[in-house]
Amino acid sequence: MAENGEKNTFYLKVIAADRVFFQGRCLSVVLPAVDGEHAILAHHSDMMIATSTGTIRFRTESGEVHEAVVGTGFTQVINNRVTILVEFAERPEEIDALRAREAMERAQEQLRQKQSQQEYYHTQASLARAMARLRMTNKNNINRK
Amino acid sequence: MANMKEIQDRIRSVQDTMKITNAMYTISSSKLKKAKKALEDTEPYFYALQGAISRTLRHVPDLEHRYFDERGTVQGKERKVGYVVITGDKGMAGAYNHNVEKLAEDKMAVRDCDSYLFVLGEMGRQYFTRRNMAIDTQFHYTVQNPTMHRARVISELLVDKFNKGELDEVYIIFTQMNNSVAMEPRMIQLLPLKKATFEVKTPAIVDIHQEEIEMVPSEEAVLDMIVPNYITGMIYSCLVESYSSEQNSRMIAMQNSTDSAKEILHELNISYNRARQASITQEITEVISGARAQKR
Repeated sequence: MAENGEKNTFYLKVIAADRVFFQGRCLSVVLPAVDGEHAILAHHSDMMIATSTGTIRFRTESGEVHEAVVGTGFTQVINNRVTILVEFAERPEEIDALRAREAMERAQEQLRQKQSQQEYYHTQASLARAMARLRMTNKNNINRK
Repeated sequence: MANMKEIQDRIRSVQDTMKITNAMYTISSSKLKKAKKALEDTEPYFYALQGAISRTLRHVPDLEHRYFDERGTVQGKERKVGYVVITGDKGMAGAYNHNVEKLAEDKMAVRDCDSYLFVLGEMGRQYFTRRNMAIDTQFHYTVQNPTMHRARVISELLVDKFNKGELDEVYIIFTQMNNSVAMEPRMIQLLPLKKATFEVKTPAIVDIHQEEIEMVPSEEAVLDMIVPNYITGMIYSCLVESYSSEQNSRMIAMQNSTDSAKEILHELNISYNRARQASITQEITEVISGARAQKR
């Protein structure tokens, strides 16, 4: 064990539907639960959390902070292992802002029209996805300038 | 003996067909590779979901949730059963389409209840329309290049119908690829979920206190998140599995036709050579007999 090996870390695994997005040891992770954000540190009590579309932030072992946009899914914390299962996960640099903006506009337009219950939920979900993506890109632009 | 020109035409046409079957073989094999890669990428997600459901069930064994509701009170003709049938968009894939259609028909004939058909793929749609079976006409999806998005749209539709009570059971009929030569059509239940599917066979340690898992905000909310995603994952993997099987059957079918084209070419070549030889022999005979007649 190294000198700083006793750092309080936990094992984080972020699995998206089409790939394993991230795996490695982390110091903390913040997730968008359905009822507000949850922060998880090492040795958290076992739990399952339903998460909604939004951003996750995690600090890796080396202290780097990563951000990602995630879709709906859930998180399980078991024996100091955190598994986040989501529909999709994207790094800020992977987001296509133009596409997201178009998707947002499309969804907003559809929301103004009469829709069935199912269609309404569908549009609302795609609006939430587009907004989460846009929020991430906007924030990054401000930081850079 | 057929005349030489005819045989030559025949050879040319067989050669052209062989070019096509050969090309289709190559296309199918590259598509198959792509589909397999896509399936491999989603597998960790899918298995983790399955694991999560079984874990939830293990901790809350007497859980009552709408996705696990068998709806035992609805029986007989009242019971609405949906079948999602995955076929191909085109033929030329051996018995691939036929096998799926046959299984679907058999399964529907066995049960005495109200059946609803959701058919994917043009071949199946045509087949069931010809037989005057009621198929959902709004359900129009292609089976080419299965994507997660398409699977999600399909599962949203099915889950919605299930929640509204428009369907009491949902099955999916697809083709599973056992290995590169054996494929078989299969039917699995999508909804309601069966608790038994997720049970992990653990030796009798029932009395031992298991770690407590807190569900945030509630067990129901967590399952509400997991189950639709799980069904999406199921549908997606079935789509990919079927797509791979289709490409694989097409590969085999095209391989067979290329082989038989080669065989036909071989036979035609022999008869062409015979015909050629025969005409030469005949010419020589004519020349010789002509020369002999002049000598006298």
